[in-house]
Amino acid sequence: MSIPVRRYLQLLHRYLRPEWAQVTWLALLLVISIALQLLNPQVLRRFLDLAAGEVSGGPSLTALARLFIALALGAEVVNVLARYLSESVSWRATNALRADLAEHCLRLDLGFHKGRTPGEMVERIDGDVMALSQFFSQLFIGVLANLALMAGILVLVFRENWRAGLAMTAFALFTLWLLGKIRTISLPHLTRQRQAAAEFYGFLGEVLSGTEAIRVSGARSHMLRRHLAMVQDFYRHNLKATMMFGLMWGSSIVTFALGTAISLGVGAWLHARGAATAGTVYLLFHYTQLIRRPIEQIRVHLQELQRAGAAVERVEELFALRTSVPDGPGRPLPAGALSVELAGVSFAYEPGAPALKDVDLCLRPGEILGLLGRTGSGKSTLARLLLRFYDPDEGVVRLGGVDIREAKVAAVRSRVGFVTQDVQLFAGTVRDNITFFDPNVTDERLRQVLNQLGLGPWLESLPQGLDTPLESGGGGLSAGEAQLLALARVFLADPGLVILDEASSRLDPATEALVERAVDRLLEGRTGIIIAHRLATVERADTILILEDGEVVERGARAGLAADPASRFARLLRTGVEEVLV
Amino acid sequence: MSTWRFVWGLVTYRPLLYLTSVILFTGVYVLPVVPGLLTQAFFDRLTNSAQAGLEPWSIIALLVAVALGRFAVIAAGFATSATGREYFSALLRRNLLERILELPGAAALPEPPGEVLNRLRDDVLQAEETTDFLLDVVGQTTFAVVAVRMLMAIDARMTLLVFLPLAAVLVVTRTVGNRILQNRRRSREATARVTGLIAEMFGAVQAVQVAGAEARVIGHFRRLSDERREAMVADRLLTQVLESVALNASSVGTGLILLLGARTMAAGQFTVGDFVLFVYYLGYVADFTHFTGRWLAMYRQTGVAKERLLALLQGAPPGRLLRRSVIRLRGPVEVPPEPEPPAAGPLQELRVEGLTCRHADSGRGIEGVSLTVPRGSFTVIAGRVGSGKTTLLRAIMGLLPVQSGTLYWNGEPVVDPAAFMVPPRCAATPQVPLLFSGTLEENIRMGFDASAAEVAAAVHDAVLERDLAAMEEGLQTRVGTRGLRLSGGQIQRTAAARMFLRRPELMVMDDLSSALDVETEQALWERLFGKGDVTCLVVSHREAALRRADQIILLKDGRVVDCGRLDELLERSEEMRALYHAGAVQ
Repeated sequence: MSIPVRRYLQLLHRYLRPEWAQVTWLALLLVISIALQLLNPQVLRRFLDLAAGEVSGGPSLTALARLFIALALGAEVVNVLARYLSESVSWRATNALRADLAEHCLRLDLGFHKGRTPGEMVERIDGDVMALSQFFSQLFIGVLANLALMAGILVLVFRENWRAGLAMTAFALFTLWLLGKIRTISLPHLTRQRQAAAEFYGFLGEVLSGTEAIRVSGARSHMLRRHLAMVQDFYRHNLKATMMFGLMWGSSIVTFALGTAISLGVGAWLHARGAATAGTVYLLFHYTQLIRRPIEQIRVHLQELQRAGAAVERVEELFALRTSVPDGPGRPLPAGALSVELAGVSFAYEPGAPALKDVDLCLRPGEILGLLGRTGSGKSTLARLLLRFYDPDEGVVRLGGVDIREAKVAAVRSRVGFVTQDVQLFAGTVRDNITFFDPNVTDERLRQVLNQLGLGPWLESLPQGLDTPLESGGGGLSAGEAQLLALARVFLADPGLVILDEASSRLDPATEALVERAVDRLLEGRTGIIIAHRLATVERADTILILEDGEVVERGARAGLAADPASRFARLLRTGVEEVLV
Repeated sequence: MSTWRFVWGLVTYRPLLYLTSVILFTGVYVLPVVPGLLTQAFFDRLTNSAQAGLEPWSIIALLVAVALGRFAVIAAGFATSATGREYFSALLRRNLLERILELPGAAALPEPPGEVLNRLRDDVLQAEETTDFLLDVVGQTTFAVVAVRMLMAIDARMTLLVFLPLAAVLVVTRTVGNRILQNRRRSREATARVTGLIAEMFGAVQAVQVAGAEARVIGHFRRLSDERREAMVADRLLTQVLESVALNASSVGTGLILLLGARTMAAGQFTVGDFVLFVYYLGYVADFTHFTGRWLAMYRQTGVAKERLLALLQGAPPGRLLRRSVIRLRGPVEVPPEPEPPAAGPLQELRVEGLTCRHADSGRGIEGVSLTVPRGSFTVIAGRVGSGKTTLLRAIMGLLPVQSGTLYWNGEPVVDPAAFMVPPRCAATPQVPLLFSGTLEENIRMGFDASAAEVAAAVHDAVLERDLAAMEEGLQTRVGTRGLRLSGGQIQRTAAARMFLRRPELMVMDDLSSALDVETEQALWERLFGKGDVTCLVVSHREAALRRADQIILLKDGRVVDCGRLDELLERSEEMRALYHAGAVQ
C-alpha cells in the first residue's frame, strides 16, 4: 500500500497534539463501543441454542432478548458521543492547518502567486484541507476503530474453532490486501481529478471577476464555449474517478460473498461432525456479517483517506515551497530616513532575459530620486528588489547601510512604503482595507490620516463611515480614491523609504494636486523614489535616473540635467513640451 | 420554484439516461433479496426444518454467482450515474454563467466573486449529489417493499413491530428538518466568509506583503475559521445523531425479533432460517432508512442551495436556471452565437439624454447627464476623482443599470444599451483591464475571428509590437493568471489591442494611457489619430487628449457643468482651469 503513512502521522502529531485530552476521551469511547458490539452476538448464540434446545439453564429467552436490546442501545449512545468528539477535534486540527497553510502561502514570493488564481488558492487551501478533515475524523471513527473491531472478531472466532479462525483471518487479510491493491490503482486517477477540479474552478473564478471585460469585448459566447470545453475535460476525469469507486464497491461485494461462503462452508462441515451447534454456525455467519461493516467502512474511509492522500501530497507540496527570499539573520535597519545603495545589481525573472543589468545607485537619507524609463525598462523591477520581492542575481541592495538579505523580510517591508499603480483592495470594510486588521490603529488616527489626504469629505459621504464595506478589486471606488487609500496605508506604516510607482498616473489633475501635497508631507524626512511617466511628478526629485532595457543610461542632479540640452532628460522634457503642442 | 421541481428539472434533463440509471440502481439494490433466501434455505437444511431443496454446497456457489452479477450491474450503473451528474452540474453552471454574462457587466454579481464562485462550486455540487442519490433511494425503496412483503408472508405481526423503530427514525428526521435547515444555512454562511477571505487575501497578496500584514490577515482568518467550526460542528452533530440512530435501529430491531420470537421459536413455528432471513433483510432495510433519512436531509439542504443559486439570476425568471441548454460531454461543444445586436445604420451621431445612474450602496453616480458624440469626433470626459466619469462610460455601454435617461443612435432611441453597444458597434478598454489565463493571442482575440494580419495590425495600433518582439514566444506567451506576468502597461495595451481588433465604430477608453510612459503614449495617440475615421469617447486628463478633443464634457459631482473645446473651457470654467493647471506638464 502506498498510503504515505509516515506523512499522515507527522501531520497528525503536529495538529492533534494540542487536542490530546479530547483524543483520549475519543479513544476510550471507541473501545467501549467495540466491546459492546462484540458482546452482543454471543448473547444471540446463547439465545438460538436455548431456543433450539441444544443447551439448557441460565437466563431465560426473554431475559437474553432484553439484554441484547440494552447492549444495542448502549452502543448507540456511546457512538453518538464519539462522533461529536471526533468532529470537534477534526475541525480544530484542520483549522489550525488551514491557517498555517494560508500563512505559508501568503508569505511566498510573487513568482508563486503570479501563476495562480484566487479561486485555485481557495481550492488548494480550503478544498484540499477539507479532504484532510475527513482524514482526521475518519481515521479514528473509520479506520482505527474498525481495525480494532475486526481484530476483536477474529480473536473471538479463534476461540470457537482454530480452523474457522484461520479461514476468517485469511479472508480478512486477503480482502484488505485486495482493497489496498485497488487503492493503488485508483489513486493517480483521483489526484488528476482534483487537479482538474482546481483548474476548472480557477477558470470559473476568472470569468466571474472579468464580467466587464467579457461584455465590452463581445466575448460571451467565447467564454461559454471555453467553459463547456472545460466541462468535457472535467467529465473525463470525474468519470474515471467514479469508475474507481465502482471498482472498490463491486470488489468488496464479491469478496464478502466469498467470506459468507467460507463461513457457511466451515460451519456446515463442523456441524456435520458434531463440532458446532446451529447457534455456533450462526455465530460464525453473524461475525462474518459483522466483520463486513468494519471492512466496508475501512473501504469507504480508505477512499476518503485516498482523497486525503492526494490532498496530503498537495498540501505538503505547498508547505515544501520555499520563498526565494528567505529571512536573513535579522540585522536591524536604522531608524529614520534610509540611505539606498545598489551596487552592481543584475536581475532576470527568467534566465537569459535580464530585467536589470549592473545597476549602481546611491541615495543619501532624505534624498529624492526621480526614476524614468519606458514601460518594461526595469523601473518596477528595481522597486521590487528594494522591497525584497526578489533578490538580485548579482550585486547588493543596501538600505541604511544594511544588505537587506541580512535583515528580516518583514523588517524591510515595514521600513519601505510602496504605492503601486494598481491598488489592490479586498472585500472588507474601509478600515480593514487600510489597516489590514490591525487593532492598534485607532479610528481617531485613521480619520486624521484620511483628512490629511483630503479624503475627509469622501469618508463623510460613506453611509457607514469606516465600517462601509468595499467591494473586491475596489469596485464602487474610483481609481483615484483607491490610490488615496493606498497612500493612507503607507502613511500609517511610517516608513523610512517611500516608493511611488506611477503613483499619480491615474488621478485627475485636481485630485492629483491634492495627492501631491500629501506626498510632499509623506516625503518629509524620508527618502523617496518616484517612478513616473509624467514629468510633472518628478519635479520634486533631487536626482534623476533614466533606465533603458535594464541599464542606467543617465544619472545626475535634476537641475543639472535639465540645463544640459544634450541630456536625455532635457530631450524628454522637450518631448513633453511637444506633447502639449500636438 | 419548489425544491422538488428543481430536482425533477434536473432528472428530466436527460430522461432516458436517468431512467437507465434508475433501472441499473434498482438492480443493484434488489439483488440482495436472493442471498437472503439462499441463507434462509441453508439454515433450514442445517436444523432439519426443511428436508428437500438445494444442497449446502450449491447454495454457497449461488451466493458467489449473485455477487458477481451485482458487480457487473454496479459498473454499468456508476458509468451512467457519473454521466448524469456531469449533465446536472454542467447545465446549472452553464445557465447561470449565461445569465451572469448577459447582465450589466459592471453589476453582474450580487456578491463578491469569491462568494459567487463558492455557490457555483458547492451549491451546484449539492444539487448534483441530491439528484444522483435519488437513484439509490429509489433502488433501496424497491428492495424494502419487496423484502417487507416477503417477511409479512412469514409473520405479519413481527414484521410490523420490527420495522417500527425504522419508521420512527424517518419521523424524527422529518421533525428536526427545520433545525437542519437553519444549521446548514449558518454553516454555509460561515464557510462562505472563510473561502471569501482566502480569495480576497490572495487576490490582494501583493498589497498584503507590501504592508507586511501577513500575520494580521491570518489572525482574522483564524477568527472566521473558528466561527465556522462552531457552526459546522452544530450542523454535523445533528445529522450524525440521526445517522447513528438509523444505523443502530437494526440492532434494536434484531432484539425485538428475539423478544417476539422467544415463544414462537420454541413452538417450532418460526425457524432459525426465518430468523436469519429477518435479520438479513432488516440490515438492508435499515440501510434504506438510514440512507433515506440522510437523503431527506440533503434534500432540505438542496432547498437552501437552490435559493442561493436563484439569487444569482438577479431578476430573470426562475425557470432560467433549468433551461434546456445543449450540453455535450463529448464532441464539439455547442453555444448559441453571440447575439446579433439590434440592427441600426452606421454611426452618424450618438446622443445621451438625461442619464441618471446611481450606485446602490453609496448613492453616488451621475445625474441627468446629456451629451452628443458626432461621427468622427473625439470626445473627452474630464472631472475630478469621484465625479462620475467611469460611471458615465459604463452607463452608456449598458454595463450598469440606469435609473433614467435614454440613448439615441442616429436619433433612434436605443431600447437595450447592453445588447446594442457591443462590437462591432462599440468596444471598450476598461479602466482596470482584466486578462485571462492563456496566451496573449487568446487574450486579444477572445474568440474573435480574425486573420493573423489583422491581429498584428491591432497589436501595432496598441503599440505592443516592441514588447512582443522581446518575448520569446511572441503572441503565444502565456500571460499568467489575470495577466500578472505582464507589466501594468502591457496589460493595458493588450486590452487596447483587443478593442482595436474588433474595429468598433465607437471606441470607448477609460484612462487608456494611465500606465504608459510618455513616448509609448504618444505613439499610441498618433497611430489612433492617423487612422482617420474614428469616433472616440474617452476619459482622460492628459494634455494630448484634452488638446485634441473636439469637445470636453466637464463633470462635477455627477453632473455636466460645462462642455466645449479646451480653450473655450479654459476661458470660462474655473473647474477646467483647476483641472488643467494642476495637470499641466510644464
